[in-house]
Amino acid sequence: MKFLPYLLKHLRRNWFRTGLTVVAMAVCIFLFCTLQSVLAQIDALLEATSANRLVTRHSVSLIFDLPLAYENRILGVDGVRRVAVNSWFGGSLPAKKEEKGADDSSSGADFSNFFTNMAVEPEPFFAMFPEYEVPPEQFQAFTQDLRGCVIGEKLAERYGWKIGDIFYLESFIPEYRKPDGPFEFVVRGIYRVDPVKHPNADQSSMYFNFKYLYEATGRNVRAGTFMVEIEDPDRAGDISAKIDALFANSDAPTRTETEQAFLAGFISLAGNLALLLNGIGIAVTFTILLVVANTMSIAVRERRTEIAVLKTLGFTSGKVMGLVVAESLLLGALGGLLGIGGARGMLWILTHTPAVRGALAGIGLAEVNLQPVVALLGFAVALFLGFAAGIVPALGAYRARITEMLRTV
Amino acid sequence: MAMVDVRDVRKVYRRGAEELVVLDGLNLQIDEGDFAALMGPSGSGKTTLLNLIAGIDKPTSGDVVVAGTNVATLNETELAEFRSRNVGFIFQFYNLIPVLSATENVELPLLLTHLSKKERRERALTALRVVGLADRASHHPRQLSGGQEQRVAIARAIVTDPRVLVADEPTGDLDAKSAEEILELMQTLNQEHKKTIVVVTHDPRAAERAHTQHHLEKGVLKD
Repeated sequence: MKFLPYLLKHLRRNWFRTGLTVVAMAVCIFLFCTLQSVLAQIDALLEATSANRLVTRHSVSLIFDLPLAYENRILGVDGVRRVAVNSWFGGSLPAKKEEKGADDSSSGADFSNFFTNMAVEPEPFFAMFPEYEVPPEQFQAFTQDLRGCVIGEKLAERYGWKIGDIFYLESFIPEYRKPDGPFEFVVRGIYRVDPVKHPNADQSSMYFNFKYLYEATGRNVRAGTFMVEIEDPDRAGDISAKIDALFANSDAPTRTETEQAFLAGFISLAGNLALLLNGIGIAVTFTILLVVANTMSIAVRERRTEIAVLKTLGFTSGKVMGLVVAESLLLGALGGLLGIGGARGMLWILTHTPAVRGALAGIGLAEVNLQPVVALLGFAVALFLGFAAGIVPALGAYRARITEMLRTV
Repeated sequence: MAMVDVRDVRKVYRRGAEELVVLDGLNLQIDEGDFAALMGPSGSGKTTLLNLIAGIDKPTSGDVVVAGTNVATLNETELAEFRSRNVGFIFQFYNLIPVLSATENVELPLLLTHLSKKERRERALTALRVVGLADRASHHPRQLSGGQEQRVAIARAIVTDPRVLVADEPTGDLDAKSAEEILELMQTLNQEHKKTIVVVTHDPRAAERAHTQHHLEKGVLKD
């Protein structure tokens, strides 16, 4: 610790260069933490899936739906226990009238208030998702009211909704719109999740009766996907193949996969998201390593005389090397702390800016935040960068002979 | 009793196949409390001999015994410890660290000791008082004149109370007045503080202050 003031004075020697290096390091750690937080949230979503749940969708794309008649045929496949229609409604709270203008009847959706909302068949769906705990009397009320819905505890908290409250949703999917305005929903149940047993299960979604959607849209809509519960997770591949074989030569061929594979595919619609994010992270980290290493090399070269003086005064080569590495680590630590702070701030802003939060909610990332383990990992990366950048010039300082360094002054 | 005893020392530098003999079988004794001047033309081996006495270089062969320790037998770490305990080095160009104040520069060698921060600070101020710069304690090198910088460098050299002070052209970068002040200070350190001083110099005034003068030529003593 007694060398710390000495190190800090050296960092302040060329504060502009030090500042730029710290900022470069901070940008690197900021990106690392932000990207890793997104990946961690995606992992958490995938971990919350069950091995005995399959999803059957149109084989071409999610945007094509499936005939409702498929449900009974899937149910007839050996090994299938339950099937439930599960359609992504894509609804959001309508924009307030006073903001849109009183005569505006287009009732455009307000994406700043977007959250996941699904039209499902209540009994089989909730039987497949035992992690969603709905009190029996609330569930009964939900099934008895066509406008009823069940919402997650966090969603209820977010909007202050309680049992009996009414709200409206309007889908941006044309087929799911009613000519007479948004859908009216009544909160009939609030589901909770055991945080110990299911720490990653979603608590911010809303489920309503598919029958409501079906009736209200003139009985024209079909199923977005079918959620399929199987008896033996080890037979998932076999059962998936059998289901898809049933519809192989139809107008609407299917693709059946595990819930986890389906969710991973849904999140990474734009490509291999994890590979992309990790690729960006590695490229930035390597670039910053070169920047910091260059800074440290220049700093040590500028101080050849000082290193010779320190050694003359009795500092061992190991101690001089330690001082150079410590200075580099200090740069890394400062950049790391700044980057972690920036990432935390950015994620907070993203998840508290209504429009962005809505977009994130659409892909299940509304709760993305900087987890302590990611922050620690980011700090470790910053220290590693500092160490890696400092070790080569430090070795140079270690090996340098006093007489040679004084002679080259 | 000899504070410095150089026995049959050879120092050879190798550059590829070429060998450059800088010191060739040199013998020299400097008594405790002596003020010795090493003189001679450029390339005669003065600075090399000084570096061997200071323990910042090792002879190719022979012994260099300083304060009872044969530095020729020490490894790098032991040499560093030897220097921190026994030798104070004064450079021609002062070599102060620009980002540190005068006190912090003087305090630098004390970072290797177990002294508390307060004790280190007190000792550094005492050393600055000895060289007459207590009133410049908080100044940085760029705020000091050449003579003052060299005084701070001398304070840094004496702050650990070493037995031997070695100086390489300590007045070489100073004007006549400042050089005289530095020589006066070194004489005081020698007479009042009983420091053994070995100085490499071309300056006849510095040689006049020395008790003994040793002339080197082509790596051999001529006196």
